Amino acid sequence: MRKYLYIFKSEVMTNMQYIFNLLVGFISYFILIFIFLNLWKYIYSDSNELINGYNMNQMIWYVIITEILWMSLGGRKLCRKICEDVRGGNIAYNINKPYSYIGYILSSHLGSVVVKGSIFTILGMLLGLIFLGKFPHLTLFSIIIVLITSLLATIINTLFVIFIGLFSFIIEDANPFWWLYSKVILVFGTLFPIEYFPGIIKTILSYSPIYAVSYGPAKLFVDFSIPNMVNVIIVQIIYLIIIYVLCLLIYRKGVRKLNVNGG
Amino acid sequence: MLTVVKNIKNQLKVSFLTVKYALIREMINKTTFLTNITFMILNDASFILQWIVLYALKDNVGGYTFNQVLLLWGIAAGTYGFSHFFFESAFNLSDTINNGKLDAFLVQPKNVLISTITMSISASAIGDLAYAYIMLFVFGFTIKNFLLFTLFCFTGSLIIVSIAIILGSLSFWFNKSDVIADTGNSLLTNFATYPDGIFKGITKILFYTILPLGYVAYMPVQILSSFNIKLFILVISITIMFITLAVITFYRGLRRYSSSNLMIART
Amino acid sequence: MNEKAIIVKNLSKTFRVKEKEKGFKGSIKSIFKTKYREIKAVNDLSFDVDKGEILAFIGPNGAGKSTTIKMLTGILFPDQGTVEVMGIDPKKKRKKLAYEIGTVFGQKEQLWTHLTPYDNFKFFGAIYDIDDYTVEKRIKELKDMFELDEFINTPVRNLSLGQRIRCEIVASLIHKPKILFLDEPTIGLDPVVKENIRTLIKRMNKEYHTTVFLTSHDVGDIEKLCKRIIIVNHGQIVLDDSMENLKYHYLNKKIVEAKMKEKVNLNDEDGITILKDKGYNLKIEVDTTKRSVGDAIKLLNPNNIIDINISNIPLEDIISDIYKRDK
Repeated sequence: MRKYLYIFKSEVMTNMQYIFNLLVGFISYFILIFIFLNLWKYIYSDSNELINGYNMNQMIWYVIITEILWMSLGGRKLCRKICEDVRGGNIAYNINKPYSYIGYILSSHLGSVVVKGSIFTILGMLLGLIFLGKFPHLTLFSIIIVLITSLLATIINTLFVIFIGLFSFIIEDANPFWWLYSKVILVFGTLFPIEYFPGIIKTILSYSPIYAVSYGPAKLFVDFSIPNMVNVIIVQIIYLIIIYVLCLLIYRKGVRKLNVNGG
Repeated sequence: MLTVVKNIKNQLKVSFLTVKYALIREMINKTTFLTNITFMILNDASFILQWIVLYALKDNVGGYTFNQVLLLWGIAAGTYGFSHFFFESAFNLSDTINNGKLDAFLVQPKNVLISTITMSISASAIGDLAYAYIMLFVFGFTIKNFLLFTLFCFTGSLIIVSIAIILGSLSFWFNKSDVIADTGNSLLTNFATYPDGIFKGITKILFYTILPLGYVAYMPVQILSSFNIKLFILVISITIMFITLAVITFYRGLRRYSSSNLMIART
Repeated sequence: MNEKAIIVKNLSKTFRVKEKEKGFKGSIKSIFKTKYREIKAVNDLSFDVDKGEILAFIGPNGAGKSTTIKMLTGILFPDQGTVEVMGIDPKKKRKKLAYEIGTVFGQKEQLWTHLTPYDNFKFFGAIYDIDDYTVEKRIKELKDMFELDEFINTPVRNLSLGQRIRCEIVASLIHKPKILFLDEPTIGLDPVVKENIRTLIKRMNKEYHTTVFLTSHDVGDIEKLCKRIIIVNHGQIVLDDSMENLKYHYLNKKIVEAKMKEKVNLNDEDGITILKDKGYNLKIEVDTTKRSVGDAIKLLNPNNIIDINISNIPLEDIISDIYKRDK
């Protein structure tokens, strides 16, 4: 475990050097939130109104949280890297190293997400305060829970990206699958809470990974409740186990294929 | 006068060949080429879902009907499509300048700016164009609509390409400006797909000044919905103004071009 | 006949170079406050080139060669001084100049790599407004001269480096330029290919009377091709002379290398400089104005010599000597 912590730490240090680029990257985030602020202000012409159980402030905070989670993930770059590792044969060098490839990628990627995530969180909170004037109802306990579930969400999300990237063992280019995944998360997971979708879609979404990687933490931030918390954490743990096992399976299968081909 | 016509003819011939050869280059790998196009169409289409959800709440968002939002999307996609198909390299101008890649065009007897911004094309832009015209069909296809739509996609693309040229030309003066150029370019596309009616005050002023989306997307939607000759002339003149501004900025900067002789000295 | 192809007077160009401090702190600092240093890449340069001449324009890295060549071809704006290439000021009439010159930059490719050389040549024909009939004729002519027959229909990316550079040269000759600028044309090529390129350049110069302005680090290029040489260092000309003169200055110095039976103890004395002394192997420089080579051999004792080699100082050494002297 210590070696993964070390990998994580050195990645954090490296990423600290690119803070300027992160700050410029925040501009896109700012614009997005700004657009949504205007959009929801327009739709909630009466600000006391509730739509699908949310008031205007909650809707905007929801987007603030889901976009922090999504934008700090940097999934496209990670997927590309894994695809290249697989296709370029880089992965073969990792087989006989004393750490697991999945553990290595996960810990180094989390290192970069943590730096970006922290900066985006601080700036995102400030932005929300400036735009809306107040936080949703928060307690120390709920903040801690939101942080924990956000971390879990990021780990699950990263594992999903790794899983998709490792798909290039089987098909030539896994990037289109990543693209599909990102579209689904963006459209169904970041812009609206799942309550906004009609009947059957809503049911499907509440069992989908979106519940674990996006909706969960954001929902707990804007509308905390103990039953919700229990729900989110259980779903997250189940998904964590499922996706980790899937990663292991595809990795083993892929490595066997590599050995057969002689690397 | 005759030589001017001849020069323009020759320039067009070279530009046509450049686009043709760049297209051939993109098509070398057929699967990637087709996937890029298909996925771009799907990508653009996926955003319809967002609007279906919103229009389920209200039948008018920012003064736009659902059909008008689709048309807005169509114009945005068409603008993006034209600009990235013909002028993809305008969006990488910083890089071209910083790496001294203008040299090759500076020793040729053709227009440097045109050669520079037409040297590559983007395959996925074809997907955007396809999507744009699908949206036009959904909105209502008439010959008049088709002509106006195409014209506005083109003027729009000339405006955003002009802005890309101005932002990219900053690299003649400052060498870290590429990040600014990238952000500026993506900023424009972010706004272009939302009805302007949801924005108020200062933002609206921005849309008709330094973030000229008003002329790229909002006015064209208005004109297509009900024709207005004044607005039409305004859009055309603003386009010409932006092109002029871009050309001036580029050639001003070109005098400072250092052909990547800028080394970073470490002390 | 003795018209000038290039006239350069008091040419100067200064670059502002960013100074960056090391490490993380330095990067942060440089965001807020950037220090600049001025570097005179070209400093008050004056020279001219005759029509039909092959000129070597050489100097160590960073001496200002590329900057000069870029000002001559209209890529860079000079800060001071005047340039005239075929009577045209590159600063004012860039396009007009472009029809008169051809350029090959060894490290920058101008060809489309996914197209065949033939398609590329046609493309260049269009750039220079040449009609189809003329282009075809010209391609055929150059194809024969540069021996491109085998691969004129193979995509450029599948060609070897030597074949590519030949195509680059042909592409820059499509419009019959009066001057050809060659910047490091043989970089990265093997000796046989280098020799081949040199022969072709020479042949082209002879047949079309194209003026050739050559920069190269390869002494072979210079020795085989050029009659005149200009050496620049720190942005200034340190030598402008004919190849013959240059060699003649150094011809009165000979290098004597000898393999001995027994060790000799030799010291520097008038007219003799010891370059290497490994006991049995000896390398000395003899200044023949002060001492004859025979004398030097006598000093070594002819009976003691197993093998001996007397040679001129290689051009390479002459040049690096000039570079060093300038410091």
